[in-house]
Amino acid sequence: MSAMKETLPESILECQDLVAGYELKAGFVRAVDGVSFALKRGEFLGIAGESGCGKTTLAYAVMRLFRDNAKIKSGKILFGGKDITHAPEEEIKKLRWEHISMVFQSAMNALNPVLQIGEQLTDGWLAHKRGEVREAKARALEVLKLVDIPEDRYNAYPHQLSGGMKQRVMIAMALMLQPEVIILDEPTTALDVVVQRTIIEKIQELRKTFRFSVIFITHDLSLLVEISDLLAIMYAGKIVEYGPASEVFYNPVHPYTRGLMASFPTLSGPIVRMGGIEGKPPDLIDPPSGCRFYPRCPDRHDGCDRDTPPLRQVRPGHFAACDGE
Amino acid sequence: MTRPRSGKSDPAISRLATVNDMTEEILRLESVSKHFPIRSFRRFGEVVHAMDDVSFILGKGEVLALVGESGSGKTTTASVIAQLYPITSGVIRLADPRSPNGFQSVSRKLSGKELLSYRKRVQMIFQDPFGSLNPTHTIEHILSRPYLIHDKVVRENEGEKRKAALKRQLQQLLRSVGLEPPQQFLDKFPHELSGGQRQRVNIARTFSIEPEIVLADEPTSMLDVSIRISIMNMMLAFQEERQMSFLYITHDLAGARYMAQRIVVMYAGMIMEIGTSDEVVQRSAHPYTKLLRSAAPAPEEGLMRKRLITQGDIPSLIHPPSGCRFHPRCPYVMAQCSKTIPPLKEVESGHSIRCFL
Repeated sequence: MSAMKETLPESILECQDLVAGYELKAGFVRAVDGVSFALKRGEFLGIAGESGCGKTTLAYAVMRLFRDNAKIKSGKILFGGKDITHAPEEEIKKLRWEHISMVFQSAMNALNPVLQIGEQLTDGWLAHKRGEVREAKARALEVLKLVDIPEDRYNAYPHQLSGGMKQRVMIAMALMLQPEVIILDEPTTALDVVVQRTIIEKIQELRKTFRFSVIFITHDLSLLVEISDLLAIMYAGKIVEYGPASEVFYNPVHPYTRGLMASFPTLSGPIVRMGGIEGKPPDLIDPPSGCRFYPRCPDRHDGCDRDTPPLRQVRPGHFAACDGE
Repeated sequence: MTRPRSGKSDPAISRLATVNDMTEEILRLESVSKHFPIRSFRRFGEVVHAMDDVSFILGKGEVLALVGESGSGKTTTASVIAQLYPITSGVIRLADPRSPNGFQSVSRKLSGKELLSYRKRVQMIFQDPFGSLNPTHTIEHILSRPYLIHDKVVRENEGEKRKAALKRQLQQLLRSVGLEPPQQFLDKFPHELSGGQRQRVNIARTFSIEPEIVLADEPTSMLDVSIRISIMNMMLAFQEERQMSFLYITHDLAGARYMAQRIVVMYAGMIMEIGTSDEVVQRSAHPYTKLLRSAAPAPEEGLMRKRLITQGDIPSLIHPPSGCRFHPRCPYVMAQCSKTIPPLKEVESGHSIRCFL
């Protein structure tokens, strides 16, 4: 993807041909297989895909949160132009929360149930030696205010908060040290539509104020196209389509993207029976040769099972890994 | 709140009846309320108003969607219809041709025998595909229970053994929900299946005894978007084929419009709007429905859509707000809204809202 490399100087976070996954007895699960993207300062990148497509693994790889059998096989992760793929843990610790932070999937489980939220909020600040306990508390109250949580909740335990409030506490925590990049992994999946919308609006508002970049991971494509600048569609460990959100939404090229578009009912227009996508994603230990989507693809033709289609530019800035049409 | 003696005494209900006078009605809720007592010494005597004055009619072969946020009382509504707990006040009427007046009224706890025959006709699909299948049993065991309990094992001919007949029925059932080859699934335990497959087993269990009414409580909310539509299509196909009546519970307005002919919108235990799917979604009249609609993702309406923004959360149901339960969040709130509960009023034929506007 030479076209993307040209954006290198201004990009804050970059992945180059990243291969990451899990070492199992049966073999290596290539959960992330040759993923490249570049995130500019202040940009909103949405990553969409089904469960098991590798989107969470990608987030964990970027945060270098791999343990035990999880490995980065090859490729590079660059943060601010610096290669952090194999940087020592000490260096990464300084990077996490300070420069890049993450809001984990299901806030219900990501908060420690036996600690008050104030303590959990200030923990990172103190570990990064930003200042005294008193200052930490002041900052924590400041970020709670940013996410519209009243000050008196500082001493509350997670079980005393509603689902939406817990999620906002997680976002407050991610903001504590004013990082340049925030990764949000399915932050609103377990929430109601109205609560989801308030949280999204909050993230957008904060992003305008503090100019951080966002990677937003979800399986809900209909939500993602409304809020992202850039959209990446992942399937079986690979990015199959990438481009400006409106461009991908109005002119989807990859059959998988089109299948996803045909998977959510609409609020307006005639009600048409939707097809969705038949079949299920492939086994990532022994993925099919050629295009990984071809067993489910409605438009497959001879050769799809032989050659892996590369991401090619279909329009300026819009890439798709399909040679159809 | 007074309990109406029959449907005719309540003007709201008789109006609702007109919605469906084309089709036969199968289930009717009349001013049903469900209050849960709080089991705490300090708060003795207080109750959670999970459902208040809920009235609607489900037609035979109709899909009716119940839409609302968490805590709106939609799951409670399904649970009281399924007789998981008795109602506090009101009446649930289930059409019953064998009964002299044409229906069976339920207002108290049913006895074991009554419950069994009731559940033969009314079944529920639960929301969580992970929690609603017993992890210690095989799929075969789980799916054979309804056939045995409701005595629905049908032998094809005299020579067929009961066990063989059950097996044949189970295989047929699994095939009908797209789990093939069936033998492979019968021997599996729930944890060996994916979320989508588990939900298919759940749906198979519900449909196994061919109930007349299916209460589907957010059956797709915990599934991936790409799997959702296939599960929805499968339920619709079943419903159409057997002319079952469906109460489809969801918080997704677009999904409700896709599935249902009519939509009931609930908020904080009360019905806020009721009408045909297109009326409720395209010409939403209640401010709460408008809020729900504007919060839902709808990229097809343009990416820079203007939205209705409100503050606050769903209110406490222990001390629900006086007057209209939505008034603390309503952008169009007026003086009378906090004083009296607005009645359900018709805005166009068959389309009613609980609002003074």
